[in-house]
Parts: sequence; C-alpha cells; structure tokens
Amino acid sequence: MNHSDIHTFFTTADKILFLLCFALIVFSYFHFWQSTAARYAIVKSPQQEPLFIELNDPGIHRIQGSLGISKLETKNGQIRFAASACKNKLCIQSGWHQHGGAVTACLPNRISVQLTGQDATPDYDAIIF
Amino acid sequence: MRLSFDMQATPTQIAMSHDDQLIAGFAALAISIHLLESALPSPIPGIKPGLANLVTLYVLIRHGWALALNVSLIRVIAASLLLGSFLSPTFAMSLSGAIVSLGILWLAWHCPGKPFGPVGLAILAAMAHISAQVVTAYLLFIPHTSLFTLLPILLTGALISGTLGGILVSKIIERTDKLAST
Repeated sequence: MNHSDIHTFFTTADKILFLLCFALIVFSYFHFWQSTAARYAIVKSPQQEPLFIELNDPGIHRIQGSLGISKLETKNGQIRFAASACKNKLCIQSGWHQHGGAVTACLPNRISVQLTGQDATPDYDAIIF
Repeated sequence: MRLSFDMQATPTQIAMSHDDQLIAGFAALAISIHLLESALPSPIPGIKPGLANLVTLYVLIRHGWALALNVSLIRVIAASLLLGSFLSPTFAMSLSGAIVSLGILWLAWHCPGKPFGPVGLAILAAMAHISAQVVTAYLLFIPHTSLFTLLPILLTGALISGTLGGILVSKIIERTDKLAST
C-alpha cells in the first residue's frame, strides 16, 4: 500500500474518528484495569447467615467456624484473618485484602470472605449457563 | 420488506420489488458469512473479524439505510435459527449489537455533509457493536463490574477489525463499481 492509498481510504473525519477511538481505548485501559477499592466483605460460614461487614469500620469480628472461632480484623477499608482455629494459619499469612472482587478463606474452618465494591448485596447468588 | 398481495392471481402471488431481491441476495450472503465465521476459532471470546457486518456496511453505502436495516436483522435472526441459538444468550448479544450498531450507523450516515467514509463507518459500527454486547452481557448475564475489565481488549479488537473491514469494503466498492460501469 503506498502513501496515496491511505488518503483514498480515510476521509478527514475517518482519521479524526480513528484517533478519538484510539484515545478512548488508551483511557479505557487506565480506567477499567485499575482495581476498585472494596467497601464491604461478605463473610460466609456454615454456622451462620452470610454476614456483611463494612470495611471502613475498624474492629474485630468473631466468626464461628467448623473448628472454632476465627477473628476477622477490619481497618481502613481492609480486612484480614487476625486469628483462626485452623492448623496451618494460611488465612492469616495471606495478610490484608482491600481490592473489590478479592476472595480469601480459611478452608479448614470453612469461612470464606468475599470483598465487594459498592453493592453490599449482589443481585444473583450464582449464574449457570 | 414490502409484501403486497395481488388478489386477482391464484393462489397468492407475492409481488417482489427490485429492493426485495437485493435484500434477499445480500441477506443470504451475510447469513453464509455469519455461519462460516461462527466456525472460526477465536483467541479471545468476543473477538471476531465481523465480516458479516461488512455486508451491512456495503449495503448501507451502495443501497441506503432501509436495505441495510433489513439485511442486518434478517441475518441475525436467520443465522441464529440455523445455528440453533435463537432466543439464547448468544442471540440476545448478537441482536443488541446489531441494533445499536445500526443506530450509530444511522446517525453517522445522516450527518450533514456525510463526512465518514467506509473506514469511519466500519469503526463506528464495530465499536458500537462490541460496547452494546458487553453492556447486554452485564445487564442480563454477568452483573459484575469485573466484566468491564474485558472492555479495553474488546475495543482494541473492534478498532482493528473495524479499520481493516472498512478498507476491505472500500476495495469491494471500488471493484463492484468498476464491474457495474463495464
């Protein structure tokens, strides 16, 4: 393709449109690929109803699991397992979690923690195709 | 599509206009391309060359808006019947993409002075198509914001396929015009 071909394919408006779309795409990478801060944690355990915890309220939540009590600590929009009745303490070693969509769990104690963005209650429990 | 029934003729005869013949021919072409395309493997779900939509674009440029609308909607419905995806999630995505991209094409086509060439129209249609599909998927099937993480990649794909598709349509129009003049 030689140089004059480009001009026969693209009108001035086409070129402007192409550049605008390109800019929009670059912007979309920055906008959508930043993980959003979470506001709530949904805590599930076999012993109780799902519990919604506000991450900005500092405090320690005692959750009853299959083996015993797990302590979940919240502070500054973050959450972590501070203590757990499990053997390996992997949940505690995974540290603080703050990104929306993140999931952490203490499997032996059967407690899962899911971080969500702005909505505390999702519309669907599960979707199957 | 215009259907008129001649009451004198037996049993019933459908008077077919030249436009109807064009719609039928182009819709058949678009359906064939749609079926062939659905058999192509794709590296990322959602990224397709969008060749069937190029038929719509060609019809829009050479035969006008009304015919393009007919060809596009017939293509979406007939191809879904043939693929067995009629009224399935795939169909909802396909239809919403087609309707929104037709809407955008209508706006661009009726811009004063018709500033856009085939490439511009193809880019607009492709970007509108994929955006509508992602929004549909979000509203109906996967109501989670992490779905939009896919959007930048899909838009990149749409810009590339739109640009290449537009160039292809320019070439095809060039050829068919040459054929028509000889």
